[in-house]
Amino acid sequence: MIRRYWKFLVPAVLAVGLLIVLLINLSSNLVYFQTPTELLTEIEPSENRLRLGGQVVAGTVVENGETLLLTVTDGRESAAVVHAGVIPQLFAEGQGVIVEGTWDGSTFHSDSMLIRHDEQYRTGDDVVYDSVEHQLDDS
Amino acid sequence: MSDATRTRIGALDIVATVSVVFALVFAIASPRIESQGEAARLLFVHVPTIWLAYLAFAVTFVASILYLATRRLRWDHVAGASAEIGVVFTTVAIIGGMVWGKATWNVYWTWDARLTLTAIMLFVYIGYLALRRVIAEPEARARRSAVLGIVGLVQLIPVHFSVTWWRTLHQTNTFRPRDIQMDGPILAALLVSVAAFTVVYAALLRHRVRLEGLELAAYAAAAAPVGPVAGDAVSAPNIGNSGAQP
Repeated sequence: MIRRYWKFLVPAVLAVGLLIVLLINLSSNLVYFQTPTELLTEIEPSENRLRLGGQVVAGTVVENGETLLLTVTDGRESAAVVHAGVIPQLFAEGQGVIVEGTWDGSTFHSDSMLIRHDEQYRTGDDVVYDSVEHQLDDS
Repeated sequence: MSDATRTRIGALDIVATVSVVFALVFAIASPRIESQGEAARLLFVHVPTIWLAYLAFAVTFVASILYLATRRLRWDHVAGASAEIGVVFTTVAIIGGMVWGKATWNVYWTWDARLTLTAIMLFVYIGYLALRRVIAEPEARARRSAVLGIVGLVQLIPVHFSVTWWRTLHQTNTFRPRDIQMDGPILAALLVSVAAFTVVYAALLRHRVRLEGLELAAYAAAAAPVGPVAGDAVSAPNIGNSGAQP
């Protein structure tokens, strides 16, 4: 009976193996955006479009006619962004954003902005809830 | 339609309906999610639907193994029915996620790792359902789809951990071991919703498995001649031997 499975098992195992190899090789392409640190240290200025992600630094947002000037940071490095395009509703200082455009070596020229919100779900009612983490530690 | 084939609404269906209404009340009554606003209430649909997809595909996996181990077609029916429900809820999770994505990210769809892998998972299971429709013979169908039902589950690992392994637009997992990034009242409403959707899954699975049993009975009835075949009463003419007749 085992022998009859071989004709299914062999292709199945090969397919899974191929998938794993693909995923490992595609890892670099699976990075949705670059950080300001990567932008400043690894990425050469060019006309190629790329995505830059980081938090909007408080006090850096300036509306300048049709464009928006802002600085995004990953906590280590910061990059200046000139954004010409739609500003999402949740845009705010301290918010995570992903801008898409080109990097000229000193400024990132963006025409598309996405919000990258965090994984925290907090109530806005100013009640301090005992964190679940804390409760687990106590038990 | 005979009495045996009629779908009856059972206690489970009533419990499922009531618990969904209950979950909706909790979702509306839950405190506002501070960082995102009202659109984030889609959380109470998005998370339970993708949970159901995971659960459904896991049940398909287990039932496929049990089919191969026992050769009882009942397990094949569970596997097929569960995958069907999983496909429906993966679709709902993606559509709900798109609406939520437009409201918060400012985009319906983008090819980040989480979204892409979830779409691939959906298409693999649509392929599984297609496979089940290609093969008519119940035993062969059960055996071949069981293989895909087992292998298919592997995808759930990269789908779930994509947000941790790669940089994505989708936020990382809120539920981490010993560390849940969610306040109590929101978590309570979410758990009610997850429980309610799970009851809906159980109710749908029960009906769908029963239908698979009826389909099998119909297949068996069509394959096996039950009564006298038309033309049976006519005997073949006795050509070339007429002279020998008394």
